[in-house]
Amino acid sequence: MKHLRAINKKARRIDDAVTQMEAAIEAAATSGTTPSDMEEDVVALQQAPRPHVPMGCTLSFSPGWEVDAGGGTAGLCQPVERDIYDCYVTCFWPVQVPDHVNYSPDWASNCATATKDWRNLDLVFP
Amino acid sequence: MQKIRFVLAAGLAALATIPTHAATLFMGAYPDVLLVFDEGKGAVTQKIKLDTGLPTAMSLSDDGKRIYVSTITTSGIEVIDAASRQVVSKFSLNDGPYRVRFYGGVADPAGRYFYTIVTKIDKEMDRYKVSKPLYGVIDLKLGKLVRTAEIEKEDEKAIGGFRVAFKVSGDGKYLYAFGEKVIVIDTATLKATDRIDLARPEGTGLENVGFGGSLETLRTPGQYVSLFNAADPYIHSKMFGLARFDLNSRQFDFTPIGPAPAAMASLEITPDGKQAYTVVTNGTLGSKRCEFWHMDLSTNAVVDKAEFPCRSRFRFGMSMDGAKLYIYGASFDIEVYDAKTLKLEATWDLGNDATGAGMVAVP
Repeated sequence: MKHLRAINKKARRIDDAVTQMEAAIEAAATSGTTPSDMEEDVVALQQAPRPHVPMGCTLSFSPGWEVDAGGGTAGLCQPVERDIYDCYVTCFWPVQVPDHVNYSPDWASNCATATKDWRNLDLVFP
Repeated sequence: MQKIRFVLAAGLAALATIPTHAATLFMGAYPDVLLVFDEGKGAVTQKIKLDTGLPTAMSLSDDGKRIYVSTITTSGIEVIDAASRQVVSKFSLNDGPYRVRFYGGVADPAGRYFYTIVTKIDKEMDRYKVSKPLYGVIDLKLGKLVRTAEIEKEDEKAIGGFRVAFKVSGDGKYLYAFGEKVIVIDTATLKATDRIDLARPEGTGLENVGFGGSLETLRTPGQYVSLFNAADPYIHSKMFGLARFDLNSRQFDFTPIGPAPAAMASLEITPDGKQAYTVVTNGTLGSKRCEFWHMDLSTNAVVDKAEFPCRSRFRFGMSMDGAKLYIYGASFDIEVYDAKTLKLEATWDLGNDATGAGMVAVP
């Protein structure tokens, strides 16, 4: 970072934030404590307590409608359209369904019963 | 003549599915409505539009007069008058780049504050900063999140997720959070004052333990009765049993019934408080099997069981008079079972896919 120089307002503010964080880390090292920003670490989704994942699709990944959590099809809702809306809200299968909480709140507005009138659902182009 | 007999038989069969004391059911549905379902007619009679978006949780006030609906689209709360079926107040917590996420929660007995667990999202100059789950107090009059407090580290695993159910004591002093433990929280300080090692049974494919919308109760103010799992301290063998809480005195008693099955639904209790029903599932995915369990609360014993074909995901409910059992969720219909015979009687079409908000029944 030494050879990079902030040239606009936003970059300078980021630079200041990094400097403040480094100062906090140095102060914490001197006093033997951990600054709050450094408490977080890379963690697995399966571990307990579960990491705090923000709601939305960006951080979710699951293979898709074709298989259930065990790699088969017996655990899927039947027909699968019964499940499409709950996945849309909780973003369980983000590749195939839009994200209700962040960018597609109206996706289901023309279709009350996904099993019966799923043809009314729009395609979403991000 | 044969045709008349058939019509008569069909009519009688339809009548048999109508609960003797028909109530009104409120159910959250896509895309942004609350369905008002008449048990007597077996049909949706009204749809209440929710301007704040898609309903994810509901709770009925202890006096049965108000329904608190949480919505996810704009992180809102809408308060419904149960008698007039009108929205009496509504607000959203999202404000531009500042957002709040929460599922469910519970209002205090005065109807002023709403207790829940929230995640705050702030837009900073280079990123969105997402908070840890926090205790949150929402002022229903001001329509604002007025207080938050950190969940103590030791309680994060038990109640830090969103599938937590809540109750408030009758005097409004204590908030109960039912997760992997029962945490009793002082509402004035938002600090845990007690921790009880009883866990709500969690189920694969069962959804009604959570979201705060469908906590079962004996319908006696100040009392809460439910199924819980407990483990002995030596070999950690899990038992399920009935726990009865006195929410004001913070006293409880737990009666073990038997080894804990893989998953259980909530406990649905008949109005006389004598009979109770739950759904037990064993196995997962293709080998999942579901059973109704009928329990006698005077002896705390399981008196009857019956297997039924279960959906991949579903919720469990009961009619107001305790005569019918409902299986619904992840679909547009309700399967109606007779509580005595545990046999399927009818399927009611809702016309809308139901959300995870559950079902609230009022007389």
